[in-house]
Amino acid sequence: MIAELFDRNLRWAAGRARVDPEYFRRLASQQGPEYLWIGCSDSRVPANEIVGLDPGELFVHRNVANLAPPQDANFLSVLQFAVEILKVRHIIVCGHYGCGGVRAAVSGERHGLIDHWLQPVSCLCRRDAAELRGILDFDARVNLVCERNVLAQVASLADNPFVRDAWDRGQPLSIHGWIYSIQDGLLRDLETTIENVEGRGGASPKAPRGRARRSRAG
Amino acid sequence: MTRVGEVGLHEAHDGIEPISPELMATPLDFFFAEHFRHRQLCALIDRLSTTTFFDPGPIAEVVDFLRFEAPIHIIDEEEDLFPLLRRRCLPEDDVEGVLGVLSAEHKTDAILGRGVRDYLEHCLDTRAAPGANMDGRRDLAAFAAQERRHLALENAVVLPIARQRLTPEDLTGLARRLAARRGMAPGETGG
Repeated sequence: MIAELFDRNLRWAAGRARVDPEYFRRLASQQGPEYLWIGCSDSRVPANEIVGLDPGELFVHRNVANLAPPQDANFLSVLQFAVEILKVRHIIVCGHYGCGGVRAAVSGERHGLIDHWLQPVSCLCRRDAAELRGILDFDARVNLVCERNVLAQVASLADNPFVRDAWDRGQPLSIHGWIYSIQDGLLRDLETTIENVEGRGGASPKAPRGRARRSRAG
Repeated sequence: MTRVGEVGLHEAHDGIEPISPELMATPLDFFFAEHFRHRQLCALIDRLSTTTFFDPGPIAEVVDFLRFEAPIHIIDEEEDLFPLLRRRCLPEDDVEGVLGVLSAEHKTDAILGRGVRDYLEHCLDTRAAPGANMDGRRDLAAFAAQERRHLALENAVVLPIARQRLTPEDLTGLARRLAARRGMAPGETGG
């Protein structure tokens, strides 16, 4: 099984080299992605593939339920490197419908260590409990929390000191919130794009009702 | 040798009309047309439930529709139209009550639809008339009745609210995703 992966790697590298003999040498010489992707660890949500980008074009951080926790040294290291060294122009928080982590948090059942990681999602559920109770279908409830969780992470990022410092320096940097469906392979823009300090107020983790917010991302 | 009744059914069978890809450019019209096709599916299933001879054409048509088209339509609604409505509707629209019922019904539809498909595939395999088995007849009728109620609610409540609340940008995005879900890249729908 493991040997098969090496075989696949050989075929992949050979295929790339055949099409573009300088591909790997060029890739090795520099890393200049325009995007930081914060997505879920779910194996069915492959960041580069979804947006059709090649290696080198997307700086990726993935964890369960696509969180951007301000206390997580791993995430903060990624964020700082992406913003200050790579100078990415866009940060994309991408959740997905049916997320297992979100589902666990919505269920309210205990699952062990992961409950601590998912605490921000559980807090969202408690905050919006009355509204969520009004959604009879459990899967629909999970999907709404998947969206709200993305908005919450976008709001958190907009308050992050690394991001605020970048905006203070006049560095172009936008934060976007998207959701992906594993069932159809398509992205949806949650219209929560923030491009500067002034825009932070628009990133309420609670989705607006009856108010169309515009995004430049289309 | 063909019996008189067999010809009769074949002539009476109108089937499910194909849908024009151009209609996806106006997605709410597309949804309405899709609901019409689902009604045609129900009519076809009703006819199958009362027929006591084997005619593979309409049986296969229903099986294919339940296998390929119905699941995509549920994704169109559950993971596209309904989330959009949840974001756009005003509290006084009280849309959640209806969407919750419809989502639950989608699950029931999927379960009943799976049963109908399994039964009809069995009919195809054994060259049996769908109306010849009492349990099978009951399952077909139950699916069609449930589906008709569901479609009536969607047409009466969901589509009118969507026409009011969705923005032109929403409809453009929805149109692109409807097409992509059916394997058409932007610009391939003619819309």
